[in-house]
Amino acid sequence: MFAYFLTRLASLALILVVMSVLIFLVTQAMPGDVASMIAGQFASKEVVDAIAVKLGLDQPLIVQYGRWAAGILQGDLGRSLVLEQPIGPILMEALARSLVLAVVALVVVAVVGIALGVLAAVRRGKLTDQMVSGISYLGIAVPDFFWAIVLVLIFGSYLKLLPTGGYTPISEGFLPWAAHLVLPVVTLVLMLLARIARLTRSSMIDVLQTNYVKFARAKGMPESVVILRHALKNALLPTITVLAIDFGLILGGVVVIETIFSYPGMGRLLLFAIQRHDLPLIQATILIVSAAYCLANLTADLLYAFVNPKIRHGMRAS
Amino acid sequence: MMMRRLVARAVLSAILLSGTAMSVQAAGTLKVSVDSNLNTLDPAKMKGGQEYVAAYLIFNGLTIIGHDMTVKPDLAERWEHSDDLKTWTFHLRKGVKFHNGRDLEAEDVVATIARIQDKATGSTARVNFEIVESMKALDTATVQFQLKSPYAGFAELFGERQARIVPRDAVDTLATKPVGTGPFEFVSFAPGDRVVLKRNANYFEPGLPKLDEVVVRILPESAAQVAALTTGELDLVWNLPLEAIEKVKADTKLKIDSVPTSTWDGVIMNNTVKPFDDPRVRKAVAMALDKQTITQIALFGNGTPTHSPIPPSHPFFNKDLKIAKGDPAGAKKLLAEAGYPNGFEVTLHTPAGRATRERLGLAVRELLKPAGITVNVQRVPFDVFLKDIEGKAGFYIDGFFSRPTIDTSVYPWYHSRGSWNTALWSYSNPKMDTLLDGARQAKSEDEAKSLYTQVQALAVEDSPGVIPYVINHINGLNAKVKGFQSHPMMFLDLRNVSVD
Amino acid sequence: MTDATSIRPAPRRLRMSALPGSLIVGIVLLAPLVVAAVAGSWLAPYPYDEMNILSRLQPPGPDFWFGTDEFGRDVFSRTLVGTGSSLLMGVAATALSLLAGVPLGLVAGYKGGRVGEAIMRAMDVLMSFPPILLGILVLAVTPPAQWKAIAAIGIVYVPQVVRLTRAITLELMQEEFITAAHLRGESATYILFKEILPNIWPPLAVEASLRVVFAILLGASLSFIGMGAQPPSSDWGLMISEARPFVEQAPWIALCPGFALAIAVIGINLLGDGLRALLDPRNMGAH
Repeated sequence: MFAYFLTRLASLALILVVMSVLIFLVTQAMPGDVASMIAGQFASKEVVDAIAVKLGLDQPLIVQYGRWAAGILQGDLGRSLVLEQPIGPILMEALARSLVLAVVALVVVAVVGIALGVLAAVRRGKLTDQMVSGISYLGIAVPDFFWAIVLVLIFGSYLKLLPTGGYTPISEGFLPWAAHLVLPVVTLVLMLLARIARLTRSSMIDVLQTNYVKFARAKGMPESVVILRHALKNALLPTITVLAIDFGLILGGVVVIETIFSYPGMGRLLLFAIQRHDLPLIQATILIVSAAYCLANLTADLLYAFVNPKIRHGMRAS
Repeated sequence: MMMRRLVARAVLSAILLSGTAMSVQAAGTLKVSVDSNLNTLDPAKMKGGQEYVAAYLIFNGLTIIGHDMTVKPDLAERWEHSDDLKTWTFHLRKGVKFHNGRDLEAEDVVATIARIQDKATGSTARVNFEIVESMKALDTATVQFQLKSPYAGFAELFGERQARIVPRDAVDTLATKPVGTGPFEFVSFAPGDRVVLKRNANYFEPGLPKLDEVVVRILPESAAQVAALTTGELDLVWNLPLEAIEKVKADTKLKIDSVPTSTWDGVIMNNTVKPFDDPRVRKAVAMALDKQTITQIALFGNGTPTHSPIPPSHPFFNKDLKIAKGDPAGAKKLLAEAGYPNGFEVTLHTPAGRATRERLGLAVRELLKPAGITVNVQRVPFDVFLKDIEGKAGFYIDGFFSRPTIDTSVYPWYHSRGSWNTALWSYSNPKMDTLLDGARQAKSEDEAKSLYTQVQALAVEDSPGVIPYVINHINGLNAKVKGFQSHPMMFLDLRNVSVD
Repeated sequence: MTDATSIRPAPRRLRMSALPGSLIVGIVLLAPLVVAAVAGSWLAPYPYDEMNILSRLQPPGPDFWFGTDEFGRDVFSRTLVGTGSSLLMGVAATALSLLAGVPLGLVAGYKGGRVGEAIMRAMDVLMSFPPILLGILVLAVTPPAQWKAIAAIGIVYVPQVVRLTRAITLELMQEEFITAAHLRGESATYILFKEILPNIWPPLAVEASLRVVFAILLGASLSFIGMGAQPPSSDWGLMISEARPFVEQAPWIALCPGFALAIAVIGINLLGDGLRALLDPRNMGAH
């Protein structure tokens, strides 16, 4: 297990290096160069060149990459060209806000999704089961941004119950902070609920058919104890693995969600950086989100390996 | 189990209710939204309206453009110029302090303008100050400028958005920690989220500002802005989107405050391209367009019909001139005289994604039909528009933001050597040139007014293009916000504002 | 990793009950959309970009069945014509990922060794990006256009196709008929294209039907954030995005393309379920 962990960690490091090169090269090819963006519409060529020199944009690519990568290894993500301040603090603040969204959404998905899945499995074939799968279908049938608009319309415009955009720091009180999270979280949850509910349902059905559960029932244990204590524990393992993957998906999915809800996280920061051609900010944002995604995937793999004895005993995953 | 369910329900309803509970906030705090992120808080480098909002709260200029669009003293309490309009001397107000506690000195003014003139700064206001030959601080409270050519509007240039006076020893940190002399002091800036400002206790205007704190929230979605205004989470929506106006009007707790700006959209006719090289054709187009209807269609009524970029709210506006009411029969007659008895067919280009200009294009198509002109509207992506249409095509819709002075609002478009004239419609009339040059050197308000009145009459007579309206700047606000007045330059002036 | 789990030999359980129902309902839902995609411009009561400023923001009624937008364009006609753009994005991107992914997967599975390893590691890197971010990374490079969005989505899904193709190829290599072909002295090209490829199609078709859904949704998302189809296109994602400021005054502008998108996604999902039951002997499990 430990050897497997080390191998995975090493390959992760390698992947991150390749990713950083890829990100750097692709973003360098961006049109509408940064210097002329900063200089403005009516700037002469000499002004643009002066700014380019000041920013080091006239250096060869390899030098620029070297400087960038060396900085990152020392924890320096560079300076935003447009915002004229170090990227690190801005990015970390935005990442923290996005993580709040992602973690809350993940917890809700886990609790609600597993509950629905168990319910559907226990009432297999009955109306409850069909309703659960119907609701699940609804969640995935419509893209997240459409759900977001519908939620804004219902809870913001018609019912006036919830704020439909923005963010309030928790320092201004728990309730205002939480209220701003509700709609984005619900949107993310709707997107992911179906998968978790269906997965829990199918693994629960499998477990309920094992001798282990049959034995427990035969011993005369109450059905609720059988399901919650014995069956669920075993059925949850694959679900937990998928939840870890979903966490990565949420991190990617926040780009769209944050736009609609004017939520100042990573996603909006990235789109802002792209619109303003802020190269260092684009590079840093994509790198950090991708690294977080990789970590989530690694966690998922390790969890899977942990529950899967074949891998635990030293075999490779693929 | 039961207990847990109860707790869950309590938390949920608390969360649901908090949307309304949030209106409880510290007294004297104003929460205002802008629709786009601020790139920088360094005034010299600012380019967008949302940034100017911060600029006018934190900084001052030597002069300020007042609500009536005329120039007023700000950091300079008075100024004078030589008879040839080439030497300008500004006397600074005494006892003004920067937020860092240091006194404002004439050297700060010199450093500010020198920084704008420096190409490496990349300020869009640099061209304005190209006219400055030299400048120097005569003493700590007096600064003198020597101009390359006479310019009557020089004092107005200091009311320009980028020309905010900054402390010469703190220019490197302006983008993130701005220090100014303005009514509010910088507290924090979270990009994409908010700018927080607090009252400047040492502000030079006695008793002002009234607010303790201003929070500028960045909320790009118009639906979210209006929802937040309705629930009381926001007190003011700066530059309210047109589509949200009805909603705000319908709510008795909210109100609309608007003012005509000199931001305009226009129907551009290239005076060197057939058939628009014939002044009768241009006049016919202008006659056929009912400006009131156009304002209704393009701006949902939230604009003011005008003759030229000079807005009807300005003292120089020519009130004797009639706004075109739409006369298709007269237009037809003129077209026949010009050799088009059966009208003609023409393509009109509009920039995609600029909603007011797109709607203006469609309105032109409908209104020119009865005059016998068939218009094919073609929408082009904005980057293509800038590259291939603007200044090149014969017939298109364009638009421009308000400028700080009447001279900078009119001269570039109507003088035969004006930068936008040569780029747009290539209009040339020596009489117009004489009027505009004369106005630049006018010795008095009255003289300038008389000259600009004639400029507007000539602009309508020659119709190099049609400027149907100036757009209103609209703010949505909670009724408990007192003392707010929308500014024609779209500045957010909060000095006299208080919240009940 | 997910694919690795799905390839595990699972008990052979053919779910006959799923076969007729989902397939038929899927086809019934999709048929009108396909017709709209092909003949939308002819069927639409108005040209999709015809603006009628005097009747803007009209609610649904006899003249405009699903109302009009802020320029007075007919929402029904726009949705109808937008079908082509929206479905094309998913289908073309999926086709692209198959076109690039199947050969790579075949080579990686058949050749193995250093070449195979190199291909798989390259795929690992691509899969390490969150899908929409990979799309954005590709698209941020140049001014947006729909074909670029299609290419970007295609690239996003190449690794999945490669992994699946390789896994099936590896499994097939153990089968007797391949060993027999080797013994007969057939060329690698022959074995790859005549023996292996035909056996790969069924699971790939199932995979593709799932991919199309993701690709359509990803395409709509990219259009929504302004990186896919460009105005005045009536791509559904773009329509919904442009309808945002008017959602309260005129919800029909957003709802109409939204429902169309829902029908497409549900239809293709059902079709995929049906196909899976019909074509794939393995039980792919719920994932």
